[in-house]
Amino acid sequence: MMKRVYLVCGTGIATSSMLRAKIEDFLDDHGIRVTITQHRVAELNAKRIDADLIVATTIIPPDIKEVVTVLDGIPLITGIGQDKFFQELLRLLQER
Amino acid sequence: MEAILQSIGDFLNNLSPLIVLPIVVMVLGLVLGQRPDRAFRSGLLTAVAFVGIFLTVGLLGEKISTIGQAFAQRTGTGLDVIDIGWPAASALAFATPVGNLIIPIGIALNIILLVLGLTQTLDVDIWNFWHAAFLGAIVNLATGSLALGLIAAAIAQVIAFFLADWSAPLISKYFKLPGVSIPHLQSAGCMLLAVPFALLINRIPFLKKLQLNPDRIRKRLGVLGEPIVLGLVIGVLLAWLAGESLTEVLTTGINIAAVMVLVPRMVGILMEGLTPVADAAREFMTKRFAGRKFHIGLDSAVLIGSPAVIASGLLMVPIELVLALLLASVGNRTLPFIDLADGVFVTAMLAPLVAGDVLLTVILGAIVMGVGLIFTTLLAPAITNMIATTAISVDIPTGFATYTVMSDAATPPTYALYYLFQTPEAVAIIVGLLVLVGLYFLKVKFPLGDKLFAQEEELDAR
Repeated sequence: MMKRVYLVCGTGIATSSMLRAKIEDFLDDHGIRVTITQHRVAELNAKRIDADLIVATTIIPPDIKEVVTVLDGIPLITGIGQDKFFQELLRLLQER
Repeated sequence: MEAILQSIGDFLNNLSPLIVLPIVVMVLGLVLGQRPDRAFRSGLLTAVAFVGIFLTVGLLGEKISTIGQAFAQRTGTGLDVIDIGWPAASALAFATPVGNLIIPIGIALNIILLVLGLTQTLDVDIWNFWHAAFLGAIVNLATGSLALGLIAAAIAQVIAFFLADWSAPLISKYFKLPGVSIPHLQSAGCMLLAVPFALLINRIPFLKKLQLNPDRIRKRLGVLGEPIVLGLVIGVLLAWLAGESLTEVLTTGINIAAVMVLVPRMVGILMEGLTPVADAAREFMTKRFAGRKFHIGLDSAVLIGSPAVIASGLLMVPIELVLALLLASVGNRTLPFIDLADGVFVTAMLAPLVAGDVLLTVILGAIVMGVGLIFTTLLAPAITNMIATTAISVDIPTGFATYTVMSDAATPPTYALYYLFQTPEAVAIIVGLLVLVGLYFLKVKFPLGDKLFAQEEELDAR
């Protein structure tokens, strides 16, 4: 089954769209297919989350962090620590 | 000089925004060292995004404005100025002559200020240059001078850089984002007005004791954070109070829900188009300023997940509506509408001023938006004019109602500069520069989170 990734930011469109382009490019190069959807942090509900991984450019409330792994996406915007981010993303998506 | 700029302005105006910004994006990408095929794709994507945005913004047209007017009359509230929201406003701003030129100007200003050591913010958030462009565009139309529009936009953007520097110690400490600053004109502008009030209410012990639980508020009111639901509810209420038939009530609800969902999706495409340019600009700048200590300037969206920001942002929905009604007697005619969904941008940089206390954040938000609503009403004719002028090539029906943009017309530096540029141009430019000098000293002498608002207790945002 394809893994589901939520891209989460303050608006569900701004920084998450920036992440989307980069993550899609990267995963394409590595032949990994996932389902990506963009969300705004305020609408996340711990009971209704259907994701294997959240990549976020904003702070994620603790109750959400309890139900799904959260990866900090800010390196993709600042460009600092981008390689480490991608390594971690690869590792998390190849688990299981 | 003025004549040359004027003809550039006319030239840009005559070309469709569908053509100009994409070319600027492509050329800028090439100049900053992007691969030609990627630069071309970015340009094309911005053009496609514009088509999508203007198609979907059209949903807000004729029908909504007649319903809005009927609502204002029947309810006797007089709230007949409709807020079109920041997603539509950002696209409109980029589609104006000032907006066409804002990205190269903003990047150039940032580089110059970094070279001169006047700012420590390396702004990779070129998207939010649109706030400066929005102000520049209404100044351009009000004064008839593209040069003044560009100067106003430039001053606004430098204000954003300086406010980012000023608040950087507090923001990076409170949100635990080391090395980050927020040159976001709206959020930082709201913070500027809130600072004196924050100094005041932080001293009131009684208010501090009434601690609201941010997580409980987020879980209870989370539904207000879903634009699709908020859109449906507002649309239905508006049409129902305007006395429409059941079919019309439901149709309006669905149309507003559609605006809330579809316009931002299209703006996402615009964002996607601009991202490679932003990346190229970032690489270009980081390479040249390697080894220097600076803050990376990001969108205030990165702060929004903080519990106090979400909770107070959600509480701003009912508060903005109540404020709009209460202030109707002193001149407010703005009906808070699309931007209701994004109160978080108002509260994002207010929360750290009061150590994340939700009640105090909401009080600050109410002060900022209370003043703001008066200005969203006062600036509505200028904004409606901008929409009408830009709408020659886009598809927003005009002539039915007055529109405003809460995100920007309620931003203190935006309305202050708009009125400043109504004065003779020499006065406007000199006072504008003096403001920059003043802000410069403010940020050097009284950095937030250090000299001001240096909270002793452990801040816990995450």
